[in-house]
Parts: sequence; structure tokens; C-alpha cells
Amino acid sequence: MSMIYDEYGRPFIILKEQQAKNRVKGLEAQKSNILAAKSISSILRTSLGPKGMDKILVSQDGDVTITNDGATILERMEVSHQVAKLLVELSASQDDEIGDGTTGVVVLAGALLEQAEKLLDRGIHPVRVAEGYEKAAEVAIKTLEEIADRVAFSKDNVEPLVATAMTTLNSKIINVHKRKMAEIAVNAVLGVADIDRHDVNFDMIRLEGKAGGSLEDTELVNGIVIDKDFSHPQMAKVVKDAKMCILTCPFEPPKPKTKHKLDINSKEAYDKLYKYEQDYFKEMVQQVKDSGANMVICQWGFDDEANHLLLQNGLPAVRWVGGVEIEHIAIATGGRIVPRFSELSAEKLGRAGTVREVSFGTTKERMLVIEDCANSNAVTVLVRGGNKMVVEEAKRSLHDAMCVVRNLIKDNRVVYGGGSAEIACSIAVSKYAETMVGVDQYAIRAFADALDDIPLALAENAGLSPIEELAAAKSRQIREGSSVIGLGLDQVSEIDDDHSWDMRKLGVFETLIGKQQQLQLATQVVKMILKIDDVISMGQYQ
Amino acid sequence: SHKQAGNNQDARKMSGFGMQPGIILLREGTDTSQGKAQLISNINACQAVADAVRTTLGPGGMDKLVFDGRNVTISNDGATIMKLLEIAHPAAKTLVDISMSQDTEVGDGTTSVVLLAGEMLKQLKSFVEEGVHPQVIIRNVREAGQLAVQKVSDLAVPFDLDTEEGADMLLKTASTALNSKLISSHKDLFAPMIVEAARTLHAGGNLEDIDNLVAIKKIPGGDVRQSFLVKGVAFKKTFSYAGFEQMTKQFTNPKVLLLNVELELKSEKENAEVRITDPDQYQSIVDAEWQVIYDKLDACVDCGANIVLSKLPVGDLATQYFADRGLFCAGRVENGDLKRVAKATGAIVQTSTHGFHEGILGTCGFFEERQVGDERFNVFTECPASLTSTIVLRGGTEQFIAESERSVHDALMVVKRSLTSKSVVAGGGAIEMEVAKYLKAYALTIEGKGQLIVAAFAKALEVVPRQLCENSGFDSTDILSALRRKHFHDEDGKWFGVDIIKGGICDTFEAGVWEPSDNKCNSLASAAEAACVILSIDETVINPRSEDPGGA
Repeated sequence: MSMIYDEYGRPFIILKEQQAKNRVKGLEAQKSNILAAKSISSILRTSLGPKGMDKILVSQDGDVTITNDGATILERMEVSHQVAKLLVELSASQDDEIGDGTTGVVVLAGALLEQAEKLLDRGIHPVRVAEGYEKAAEVAIKTLEEIADRVAFSKDNVEPLVATAMTTLNSKIINVHKRKMAEIAVNAVLGVADIDRHDVNFDMIRLEGKAGGSLEDTELVNGIVIDKDFSHPQMAKVVKDAKMCILTCPFEPPKPKTKHKLDINSKEAYDKLYKYEQDYFKEMVQQVKDSGANMVICQWGFDDEANHLLLQNGLPAVRWVGGVEIEHIAIATGGRIVPRFSELSAEKLGRAGTVREVSFGTTKERMLVIEDCANSNAVTVLVRGGNKMVVEEAKRSLHDAMCVVRNLIKDNRVVYGGGSAEIACSIAVSKYAETMVGVDQYAIRAFADALDDIPLALAENAGLSPIEELAAAKSRQIREGSSVIGLGLDQVSEIDDDHSWDMRKLGVFETLIGKQQQLQLATQVVKMILKIDDVISMGQYQ
Repeated sequence: SHKQAGNNQDARKMSGFGMQPGIILLREGTDTSQGKAQLISNINACQAVADAVRTTLGPGGMDKLVFDGRNVTISNDGATIMKLLEIAHPAAKTLVDISMSQDTEVGDGTTSVVLLAGEMLKQLKSFVEEGVHPQVIIRNVREAGQLAVQKVSDLAVPFDLDTEEGADMLLKTASTALNSKLISSHKDLFAPMIVEAARTLHAGGNLEDIDNLVAIKKIPGGDVRQSFLVKGVAFKKTFSYAGFEQMTKQFTNPKVLLLNVELELKSEKENAEVRITDPDQYQSIVDAEWQVIYDKLDACVDCGANIVLSKLPVGDLATQYFADRGLFCAGRVENGDLKRVAKATGAIVQTSTHGFHEGILGTCGFFEERQVGDERFNVFTECPASLTSTIVLRGGTEQFIAESERSVHDALMVVKRSLTSKSVVAGGGAIEMEVAKYLKAYALTIEGKGQLIVAAFAKALEVVPRQLCENSGFDSTDILSALRRKHFHDEDGKWFGVDIIKGGICDTFEAGVWEPSDNKCNSLASAAEAACVILSIDETVINPRSEDPGGA
């Protein structure tokens, strides 16, 4: 920050380390913030929609991620600019809450800022612009509610859910198998959903990935899959009617927690200790046997001696199972977690139809599948794919799809995709703009223009002529009074030579809450950015 | 810069004595400056600080982004900005202090107090330059300040809380405080929440402890309109061990046990060593250790509690033990949360597991674990002593929520103030204009320099409406003259202030722009006081830093 001098030519030092501080004020600050935010959104713009491209991101350790999920891209980009970071958080927030539309929300925020910049150039007060945007957003959100449709579904008729999940998967790398993937996502969610209470506990869905095989081998397991194998290769590979004891204590004589020292000063004492340990192992195994268990799941390890004893007693065992997995298994099998052998009893055992160890292809890697559990409300999706990157991206895509299905179960209203909802909102907002007097009119109209940016980007990414397509769809919406006309991208229209289509017929839809949240979040962040007129920073502010 | 100043001192000392060597009184490198020049210089520094925050005032005010190398804060709150600016100038620091004290005393008006002090100094600067003795100025400023505070108290409109009108007044003061903030367009949501929280406390006679009893919890993610008020206590799920998910997560009329005890299997004594000579004894030690923890757990279960909360960790063994017996437990509960639960449920925090009895247990109407966005919350509602509330804030980004929190806190303080002072004045610059008019009239009744100084003080008050206009992009000169005219001519014009929405002037009292009168009294008094402090300084001595890196 530059120095200030008083009348006598002496400099003031008002702030600590004043020279090292940087200050950008007024319009300049707004411009530079807008520029930063815009450059972030322009990176994501090409990833929007079914024809969106993927990004490859290499981390500092050389890990490669290929994705077109907005939240993931931004998270891995390690953005350092402070205002740009707001957009990263914006995307993350959409991801946490809705799970889908993470790219769209950033693109929309970018478009809003771009429009705002033009208004600032005309000398309109930034707070006025932000207020106009807020009014416009309110209208747009109301419009979305008006054009929304309810989809009817039940446990027996899941087709609408599958169709929505497919829309989400459209833009992802796994869209070749979108039907299958969508069905997996829907069945997984329905497996744990409580339809009457509109509640889905996501913690009960596990997504496991294993590189190898192809995407088509991805399967939904009605139970739990853990990345572990039985502790001894000769143990039975399949346990039918498993009654498992779930232990959080190690298979070894318990040690006092207090620091201790055992002095052994004679051979007799040594023998006694040895015998004590031996007896302990036997007793532990006996206790397990007595409880009626035919399988052991243990959070800790056990040494070869215990392993051998377990094998001899026909007790297949799994060791080093993580705390989270232990909990999942306990919930799914209806068992209780047992901290001490002496507390084992028949009613504390978890029950499952089958537990089997499966191996993949020619590799030695094995996984343990626990199926037909007593409380069958835990499911696992086992994702397979050519390489690790595909598996990871498929996991992310499935997660998105499952989020969408969850949202539909919570609230079954949908709006139509392909930009149709944005176009409908844009029309409503610009109509509203005309009723306003004063500066607001400009800001509200700018909001409508920003909404158009979504269908424009969709068309652009699909290699179509964006303006023509938007104009065609918009004019058809107004002409036919229908809010479901959007960009079909792949299908040429039955009327004209463009791609405007009735999205209802194409079955492309998105959840209402997801869209509403996008608009609200984007407007909030834009207001926040516009309101900053003074940036004071240590070091260089890029 | 130091050298130049140091030389000044030498030069001055030498000037009277021709070629005689200067007398060195102070350590070399000490920066001293004194007299009128120093006074003017301090005033300038204060103005520079006031300039830094002036754009944040009012509904049209902008935010500042301060980046200190690690954290980013985006704020509109005067006190927060002043703190983050790290002001080093010794005189200008006074302004930071008054902003802070305004924050702790009133909670709101932290920008306007700095602005007022800065403007007063600006108006009084010319008197200093013309050679009026600072003590004369100070005396008159003090007097003017006292009169101004008195006038505000006279003008204040009292309200009765029990009437519907009173409730409405509170709502409007809360809305006014939120007007300039990022969440201004959601004040319809927040203002009732804030008033509700403050009134519950007021009803229970615990208003003074508002900071501790009304918790503001932030959950990033979601939309700001999903923020909500819990009448009771809510806190985030604490770190949990395996077995947590198998616990009962919902209770009606539960008994609550609060502990400051660690429930974990661990060595009871640090640095103790057990020497075992006989392997037979081994088992007995192990058993003894287990017995210790089981005794504790049994005590918790036996006293009839349904919910066990502890400030210290609750281990996996305890989690599973409680889960098996249908209890709910949470460890590492934050101190503030635990205190709030204690207050709300009437439970007494125990530091040992001995001697539990019915009297130490608290209760509430309903407890549940609730999903909020990505987080899970433990929520206690329908508490017998409905003294505590929790405001849960949602929002798109971390900074957004952080600023929302500051804004809600400010508004909460404003409501608290209104509840204690039970009177309000109109905002939007109206009260400042009215006080200025009164002081101007008063100035004409006194003789001597005081007349000019009181008039200057009155002029300084006009900075509030002027800045409100400028921040909203209106012509301040036009609006100010309109306001002056209105206040002077019109009997009913006392509540006319700036119309931020349309431009021009309006009756802000009618428009519902209300602030607690205490807020205004405090800011006028502390601004006048700060101006006096600055004016009374005539010498600064800065010792050289022991190490001067770079030697600037």
C-alpha cells in the first residue's frame, strides 16, 4: 500500500507492515474479483451437459484424476485466489446438499458476474445490481415451482427414477452403460430408503471400487462388501447361515493399560506364563464356539497361534476390519459389537445368509461379500472398470446419480432439462423486468440474460450453433406456451431444422430442489462478490 | 523516515544556540514530535482510518475483503474490519478501541462511531490550525457531546414490550441492524428468529448472559433460507466410535446426565508401573482395570439417565456399552454446549461418577439426532427452563456464513439493548440531523469560541446521513439540504432521514428504520471522548525498535 504523507512531508505508518500490504479499492476491486471468478467459470463451462468434456487433473504426487464433475475439478485445482475460492466452495456446497448440478451453479454464477460487469460499466451501483438479481432470482424460483411436474413412482414402478438418474449420467464417462448404472443407483437407494418418511440414509450405501474387469461387471450387492479376506487360506471360502461374532478386542491375552513389568525369575514361572497364554487362547476360542458363532470378525489382529486355533475349530475369521466397517456389519447383521470375550452370548451374534470370499480374475486380490443380512437395509455397489481412474470417475458419477434419486424420494417434483427450465425462467424474468421501474429493470434483465447462458453453453459444447438453437427453443416456448421445450442436442427437431425438442418426450429431467438451489446459491455468491469494494491483503493479491 | 524525524529534533534543539552542539536527551533513533504539527498529524491519521471504513456504512454500504496471508474475511462489520486492519499508528489506534468498545457495549454501530470521531476531528482541525488551544476545544466538545446524548435520550420513543406494538418495534430494530448486511434481503427470516431468541431469554431474566445462552451454529452448505432457530440446545454430532450408530437416537422426556469424566479404558495413573512377579496376578490386574471402567459405566446406567454427555472423551467400549443398554452418549462435547444443556435441562455437571442421585439429572421434552445438510445435530427441545436458543445458519460458502454469523450477532445485541433500554430512535440519519439542529441552535446562545466549536460538532454529526447518501449513490448535498430544511421548518420533521430505496427524504420512523437509543447515546459519547483524547495529545515518543530489520 502506498505511503500517505502529512502536511509536513512526514509519512504516516497507519497499518502494521503497511508496505507489504496490498490494497485494491472501488471499481477496480470489483473488476478484478469478477475477472477471477469468470476465469474459474470459463474453465468449467466446457464440462457442462451431456457433451461436456472431461478434465485431467494431476496432483502434486502425480495422481491422475479424470472427471467432468464440477465439484471435483474445482477441488483438485487448488485454486488460490480468494474470490475464486468462493466459487469452489459454492460448487462444494451444491455437491453436499444436492449432489448434482455442481458445474451448472458455477457457470451460472460466472454468467451473472459477466452481466453485472456490464452494468457496473454503466455506472450502476453494485448493491443495486445485487438487489435486482435477488428479486429476479425470487421470480425465477417461483417460475420453477410453477413449471414443475410431479413424478409418480413406487417400489414397483421405478421407471421415472431410472430416467432421472439417466439424465444425470448422460454427461458422465459411464454414459454407455447408463441404463444399467441408473438401475443400480436406483436399486441401491431404494434398498435403504424409507419411502413413507421420505428419508434416505446414505451412510448405509457403500461404494466400493476395484480396478479390473469392465464397467458392465459393476454390481449391486445386497449386503456388505469389505476389502478383506479370511485370515487363513485354508479356511472355508463360503459360510452359509453365518452367525458371526463381532469383536473389538484382539485375540491375545489382555494386557493391563497401566505400565507394567513382569519379572520372571524361575523356569517354573516361565512355564506357568506360557501355560497361561495357551489356556487363554483356548478359552477364547472356546468362548466363541460356545456362543454358537461360526465366524469371527475382529477389529484387531491375531497372531499365528490364534489363527491356527481358529482354523482347527472351523471358525473362518477376518482380521483388521476398520471401525466404520465393523459398525456397518453390526448394523446390517443385527449383531452387537463385543469388547470382551467374556461378554459373548448367542443374542449378540450377527446373522447373514451367506458370507463368501470372492476373487477377481487372475489376481490374488479378494474381497469378502456378506449377503442376505438380518437387517437387509445395507447395500454395497461394487464398481469395476478398466483402470483406477475410470473406477473413481464411475464412483463419483454413481454418487451423483444416487443423490438425484434421493432428492426425488424426498421431493418428487422435477423440472425438465436440456436448458428448458432456464429458458422458461429467463422468459418469466424478462417479463417481470418490464414491470419494474428504475435501475432494477436493468439488473433483472441482466439476470434473464445470464440464465440464457446455460442453454448456450449446452449447445456450444455439443458443437451446435448456440444462438440459433437458443432462439429456436425460446421462440417455440413462447409460441407454444410450453415450458418443456429445450435443446435435444442429438435429435433434430420434427418441426424445423434445429434441435429444439419437447424434453418431456425425451425424458430428460432434473430435480426441482436441485435447480432452485443452484439459482439461490449462485445469486448469494454473486451478491457477496459484488459487495466487496475494498481488498486488503498481505502480499501479492492476484 | 525515522532518521529524518530524529534530525528534526536535533535541528530544533540547535536552532536557538547557533553553532553549539545539540543536547541529546533520548536514545538515538527515538522518534519524537510535538506541538501543533503532531496534533494535526494525528488528526490526519485518524481521518485516513475513518476513510477506510466509511464505504461500509448503511444499506448501500460495501464489504471489505481482508486477506491476512492465511484467512480471508469478507465483512461489513466496522469492528471486525478495524481489528483485521492491524492499525499501527498510535493515535489512530484510539479509533480501533472505540469501535471495539462499541462492539462489546452495544454490538452494532461500530462503523458509525469511527466515522463520527473521524468527522469531528476533521471539523475541529481548522481550529487547531488557527491556534485555538486544544483544551478549549476539548471543553466545548465534551459539553456538546453531553448535550447530544441528553437530546437523544429526550427524543427516544419508549415502547412497552407486552403490547403488540412493542413486539413489532423489536422486530423492526432487528431488521434495521440487518439492513446493511449481506443477508439484508433475508431479514424477514432472521429478524423474527433473533427477536424470538432474545425474548425467551428476557422472559427468563437471563438477558445479560445472551452471549453464552444463544448459540450461533454454522453449517456450510445449503441455502441461507434453510437457517432455523432451535428453542433449546443443538450441537453438532461429536466424534464417535464404532457402535454409535446402534444407539437410540430419539427420546421423549429423557433424563440427561452431564459429565466431566473420561469414560475410556485406560491407565488410571500416569507414570505408575505395576510389577508383577507371579503370572497369576496378571489376570487380576486386567480385571481390576476393567472393573474401574465398568463401575463408572454402571453408575451412569444405574442412575437412570437416558442421555450421557461428557466434556471428555467417551471411548468405544462405553459407546457400545451404552448402545447395548439403550442409552445415548456423546463425548468431547464443547464446554459452551455442555453449559447450555445444563442450563436448559437443569442438569448439574458431574466431575466424578460417585454419588449420583436423582437431583443431578436434567430433562427435556424431546431429544433427537437430526440431519442438517451434511452434518448431524443433537437437538434438545421443549426444555423445562426454556432459556437457551440455538440459531443454525446455512449458506453457500464459509465466508458467507461467517459474515452471516457476525450480522446475526450484531442484530441480537441490538435487540438485547432495545429490551433493556426499552426505547428507540429513528435511523437513516434522522436522529443525527435532529441533534445537529438542536446543537446549532444551542451554539448561538453561547459566547466565545465555544459557539464555533459546538457548531462544528453539530456539522460533524451530519456525516452519517451524508455517507448514507454517498454509499447508495445519491447526491448528498441535495438530500442534506432538504433534510436540514425539513428538520428546521417542520414541527413533525424530526424523524426525517435519508430514503435509501428511492433517494430523497422520508420519515424513517414511519418506514420502520429503528435503532435502540442506547446505541446512539453510546456512539455519540464514545466518539466525542475519542476526539478529546486525540486532541489532548501533543507529543509522541516512539522508542526505536530493538531490532530494525531492513533498517527502514
